[in-house]
Amino acid sequence: MPPRRRRGESIIPMINVVFLLLIFFLLTAQIAPAPPFDVTPPDSRSDIPAQARGVLYVSAGGELAYDAARGEAVWPLIAARTDEGPLEIRADEAVEGVRIARLLKRLRTASDADLRLVVGGG
Amino acid sequence: MTGGFDFGPRRHPRRMSLTPMIDVVFLLLIFFMLSSRFGMDTVLPIAGGAGGGESAWQGAPRLVRIGADDLALNGVAVAAADLAAALAPLMPQDGGAVILRPAPGADLQRVVSVMDLLRDAGFDDLILVE
Repeated sequence: MPPRRRRGESIIPMINVVFLLLIFFLLTAQIAPAPPFDVTPPDSRSDIPAQARGVLYVSAGGELAYDAARGEAVWPLIAARTDEGPLEIRADEAVEGVRIARLLKRLRTASDADLRLVVGGG
Repeated sequence: MTGGFDFGPRRHPRRMSLTPMIDVVFLLLIFFMLSSRFGMDTVLPIAGGAGGGESAWQGAPRLVRIGADDLALNGVAVAAADLAAALAPLMPQDGGAVILRPAPGADLQRVVSVMDLLRDAGFDDLILVE
């Protein structure tokens, strides 16, 4: 029995698979702005998913960043937020706990949004 | 005027070449593969000291001081494993808040670990104060 000769592999199935992967990654990717500095959130066993509407970044040294604002300039922006859901604090695991406590106190007076601390999946 | 222009012999490529399209699709695929982040972040609800004040404090004082590697409940040193048991008799009937006060030297990871410890033991209402 002579082997069936094929004119070359069809590439259509491969294109199908590639399109499928492309659409999968398109849908799962979240286009988030790059963090203003490297932040490693602390690990926790919490299982409440993040929403990432408004994120206040706190670096290991305690610098603040919110949107394009840095340092003290974040406070007018935070006070001006209206009805954007909870404010997420993305703080580095190495920042002093006292600093976060002080920040929370100031946030409480500046805004009445719910506060959430972003943690890494445990 | 029916002749019109002569465009020359019509060329009908029998099949369009797929290669450029596949190139672009691969490029997009690799871009999204590399730029997407997996694993959603999680959050801890956290309450600060000032403000809040929706209800008066109930029951005995419950102040946990978080040191870099020690814990103290109302000023008395307590082991991490015994913290929940020591807190339980101080809680009012309908559950109340526990105040956490990080000492200088305790980093955020340490605070979050203690919060996890308390949340696992059923103390969900945690207040972080300076």
